[in-house]
Order: sequence, then structure tokens, then C-alpha cells
Amino acid sequence: MSNDGEMSEQTGAVFNDATAMSGDGAPMIELEHVDKFFGDFQALKDINLKVATTEVVVVIGPSGSGKSTMIRCVNRLEEHDAGRIVVDGTELSNDIRNIAEVRRETGMVFQSFNLFPHLSVLDNITLAPRKVRKLPKAKAEELGMELLAQVKIPEQARKYPGQLSGGQQQRVAIARALAMRPKVMLFDEPTSALDPEMINEVLDTMKDLALGGMTMVVVTHEMGFAREVADRVVFMEAGQIVEVGPPEHFFTAPQEERTKRFLSQIL
Amino acid sequence: MSDAIVELGSEPVIQPPVDRGPTTRRGAGVWVRHNLFRTPLDGVLTVVFGTISVVVLYKVFTFVFLTGRWEIIRVNLQLLMIGRFPAAHVLRLAVTVVGLAAWGGLIAGLISGRRARAGTARRLPLRRRAADLIGRFWALALVVLYLLVLAGTPGPWIMVGLALAAALVTRIAGGWLGRRRPNRAITVGLALLLAAIPPGLYLYVLAGLGFDEWGGFLLNLFLAVCSIVLCFPLGVLLALGRRSGLPLVRWMCTVYIEIIRGAPLFVLLLLANVALGFFVPTTLAPEKATRAIVVFTLFTAAYMAEIVRGGLQSIPRGQIEAAKAVGLSPVRQTVYVVLPQALRNVIPAQIGQLISLFKDTTLAGIAMGLFELLNVSSAITAQEAFRGQGLIGETITFAALMFWIVAFTMSRESQRLERRLGVGTR
Repeated sequence: MSNDGEMSEQTGAVFNDATAMSGDGAPMIELEHVDKFFGDFQALKDINLKVATTEVVVVIGPSGSGKSTMIRCVNRLEEHDAGRIVVDGTELSNDIRNIAEVRRETGMVFQSFNLFPHLSVLDNITLAPRKVRKLPKAKAEELGMELLAQVKIPEQARKYPGQLSGGQQQRVAIARALAMRPKVMLFDEPTSALDPEMINEVLDTMKDLALGGMTMVVVTHEMGFAREVADRVVFMEAGQIVEVGPPEHFFTAPQEERTKRFLSQIL
Repeated sequence: MSDAIVELGSEPVIQPPVDRGPTTRRGAGVWVRHNLFRTPLDGVLTVVFGTISVVVLYKVFTFVFLTGRWEIIRVNLQLLMIGRFPAAHVLRLAVTVVGLAAWGGLIAGLISGRRARAGTARRLPLRRRAADLIGRFWALALVVLYLLVLAGTPGPWIMVGLALAAALVTRIAGGWLGRRRPNRAITVGLALLLAAIPPGLYLYVLAGLGFDEWGGFLLNLFLAVCSIVLCFPLGVLLALGRRSGLPLVRWMCTVYIEIIRGAPLFVLLLLANVALGFFVPTTLAPEKATRAIVVFTLFTAAYMAEIVRGGLQSIPRGQIEAAKAVGLSPVRQTVYVVLPQALRNVIPAQIGQLISLFKDTTLAGIAMGLFELLNVSSAITAQEAFRGQGLIGETITFAALMFWIVAFTMSRESQRLERRLGVGTR
């Protein structure tokens, strides 16, 4: 990408240029002039954001600011009304094949886990690889056990989601999303529904993932995580991206008045 | 009130144990006072309903054991159970019963074997298993025993004995097979065999015989089983269709459901019986039993569709979003994520509808003149030996017992299924 060269020279001056990427390589996700309406209410206003391969972008902002809507547009859980969304070279349109393609490449982790309660932990993870990627059962289960080991709960494979703690369920949900070998992981407030003592086990799993080079977009209220793991922090308010910057600048020297106000409220 | 009675008021205070001294005991008197006569109103209710219960029980007891003249049932047992099924071919029915027992045993064995392999089986000692079986089927076993004693001939005893033996053998064999990881050919072969057994037995029983020779309770069971098997998939499809994104499909399903649900079953049966002749030449019109199955299927499917739709609506949106997010296509979202949960959520309502269907098979006797159990029950009171003796009470009671025992067993088994499928989900 042409942005790469420019970026290294102007790191300090690109706070409000959401299209400038940190990290390296081609953009994994591109949002250009994206609008989204719910009835008369405009949830997203002219969103522009590029996320590079292996980059970790953390999205923060007050509730109702459109953070969740934005990442739900990326895998078409919500349909955008205007603008372009391109994921790994595939543009989201009404073409079902493109939507399926993008969903295969993106994994998503939800606030309320959304595990399938009628399936065992292992079956939750292997369902999509078996039915979509057509992996044989034995292969899929091998992969499933590998992923459970990666999120550090292999001993729970035969249990059902209802028998696990919230933190364990969310780690299963991460393993389930990873089972399709996605190139991008989207996290929609993954720790907001958890008891405080379980937040860290999930954040640690996400950190490992980030260190492993996964491209991630994370909507969260965990400022510690943003500071430590994010390559860039995006601040949204009222459906707009207000400010973008690397965490060290973003938290210590925010440019925008609204960002300052928000940070003063939560820090 | 004595000290021994701890007032169970609304306040959740745990009373310290009262020292009742060596002479106070919580005997029957205390229990009665505590549970039946705590307040004056309780006392009145106890006396009134106690009296009614005693009178009713006394009447039932004297009817069953003293005044009832059950000879009519004993004499007509074969007619009540299988109608005018040709005597020369009754052996076919016995073979079918044994075959179905073996089939059921094999399926139960395979399921438990697969569970054992997956590590989700409950391991119970043999004695607990026996107790479990008795708890599930004691009522059914008692009624079957009663029928066998009533029949008095060795044939039915041999049939039931062979059926039990066959079920036991295939249950063990199925468990053995299920615990192994068979290769694909064996799995497919086994599945084909299991799918082929019921229709095979059906063809075997009916070979060269017409439906019109069927009758008695056999006919009720057959109508119910066929309609249940057919109405279930149709109901699910209608429910999915009513939620379809395609307006034409949605519209057609809705119209179908609303029309069928708006018509009394009895009227539909009458239409199938009488009006079909206006449209189809009588030589081409299917036999009455077939028409009845069609009507029961179409009717119950409409109700099943609404029940299943309720189940579909109970699935949280997050489940569908998660299924989408992992890349499942719309069909797979429905088949693997939505339907299994939706159907489980509505098991009680579904079974209720199916029990209702089973009992409604008696309507086919009245509306279409099919010689099913209820029809037989009233017809035999007109036999020469029993005419004018007012035995309809006895025959109807017998019919009621037959329906009750099957409906009760269905209900109990559905509760068990519900518990089983609910494993660790809530």
C-alpha cells in the first residue's frame, strides 16, 4: 500500500487520519464512507477505517456510539447503507457468495458468548469446519482439541456450554471463531458480560492471539488492554470516528475535546 | 396448637429445633392435623373432597371387581384388538410385533453404544437399570399382562416373550456395534437396514390384504403412527415456510395453516369420506384408512407448524448471528443450530398434539365408519349373547383403558426425552 511509506514519516501527525495504517502489509479491512441507518436514526456517519494485516485496532467510545454496529457491518451481521467495505480483497455486496467468503475469513466473538447450548464444547468448535470446510470428523476434532489447548481448557471438551463459567465459555467462543482459520478476528465487547475475576483469563487469551500475529478489531471498555495490546485506538462518538492514534499518544495527549472529555470520565 | 407444630408462615425464619421432650412424637396424627386440618377451611375441604374421593373410588372398585360383567371383553378380545383381520394371517402380526421389538432394541442399543463411545453415557449398575425400566413401563406392562391373561391362549404369550427376547438381544448387539467405530460401509448399511425395517414389515403385513380388513385397536395405533411419522416433517416444513423470506412460500403456508386450523377435524374426515366421491371415481379413490391417514396428517401438520413456529421464535437472535459468523449457510444455520433447539423447546406441546391425534383416531370410526376400537366397543354390545344387557359401560371402559395406557406411556417417555435432551444446557 502506498500509505505505508508516508506513515513512517508522519506517525505523529496522523491522529485523525483513520485510513493511515500502522503495522505492515496490505489492508485486511477497508471501510470507506460507510453509512448505516436504523430507521431514521443514523448509526454510522461516513466511517473511514483501514486495518492492516496483523494490526490490532481497539475501538472505544460511549455506549450507543456505533462501535458494535461498525464491526457488525464488517461481517455483514448488519448491512451498511452506503460506502464500501472490503475484507481481504472481497467487497461486501448483496452477492451471497461474497458474504459467505467474508464470513469464512472473519471470526467473531460476542459479548454474550452465543455458544450453541445443545452442542458439546468440542462440537461447538468443530461444527463449522466440518459443515463449511468439509473437514472429516477426526481431523476437525484434532483441530478442536488443538484450539482448546490454545485457550487452555482442553479438559472441558466433552462438557456443554451451560456447565462452564463465563470466562471459560468466552474462551470456547474464541476457539470456535478460530476454528475456521480466519484472517481477521472481531471482538464485540468480549469481557462486558463477565464477572471481574474472569476478565483477565479472556484478555490473556486475546493477547496471545495478538502476539501470534492475528489481525484484530476489538470493541472494549478495557483501557488496560487497549494501552498494552493495541497498535491503534479508535474513539467513536455519535456514529462517527472522532480520533485515531497509537495508544501512547491517544491516552496521554488526545487531540480532540470530545476524546479528552470521554477519557476524563473513564480514567 | 402443640409445640411440635412449627408454624410455616410467610416469614422465612429458620426456627431453632424445639426440644419436644421424650414423649412427643411426630406421628400420623400430627401429620394429618398439619396437612389436612390446619385451618377450618382446610378441614372443610378435606372432608368434602375426601368424601367425594371415597365415593368415586368405591364406585370404581365395585364396578371393576364386583358388578362389571367383563365376559364381553374376554369373548371379543380379538375383535377389539385387531378387528376382522383374517385369522389365517394373524401370524404376520405376531412376526411384525417381534420385528418391531427387535428394531427398537437395535436403535436403543446403537444410541447407548454411541453414547458410551463419546463418553457421555450414564453408567448404571444392572439393578438400577432394571428399576429404571420398571419405573418407565410398569403401567404398560401391567396392561399387557392383563390382556395376556384375558386372552388365555399360548399364542400371545409366545409373541410377547419372543418380542422381549428379540429386543434384549438386539439391544445388546446394538450396544456392541455402537461402541465400535464402524467403517463407512457398515454405518450406511446399518442405517439403510434400520430405515427399511418398518416399511418392510408394513408391506409384509399388508401383502395381499386390504386396509379394510384392519380394525380394532390395531387400526387406531396404525392410523396414529402413520400420521405422526408423516405430519412431523410436514409441520416443520410449514413452520419454516411461514417464516420464509420468499413471500409466495410464506403466503401459501399461512393460508394452508389457517384454513386447516379453522376446520373441525370431524368435518374434514366426513369430507374425505363422502365428498371425495364427487371428485374421484370410486374405483380410483384410496381406501378409507388411507384417506383417514391423509386427513390426520394434514390436520395435525397445521397444528405442529404453529407449535414449531413458537419454538423457532424462542431461539435468541444471538444464536443465528453466531451461526452466521462462523460461516454457516442459511440452510445449515436452520438445520444445525436453530431447529435442534427449537424442537427441543416445544417437546411438551408437540407430544400433547400427538397424543391428541392418537385419541382423535376414534373420530375416524364415527365419521368414516372405520372399524376401530371405539366402533368395535359399541358394535359388540349388539351381539346376540350380550344384546340388551347395557354392557356399553364395560366396553367403553376397556377402550378408555387402552387409549389411556398408550397416551400415558407417550407422555412419560416424552418427559424422559426432555430431561435427556436438556443435558447441561441450562
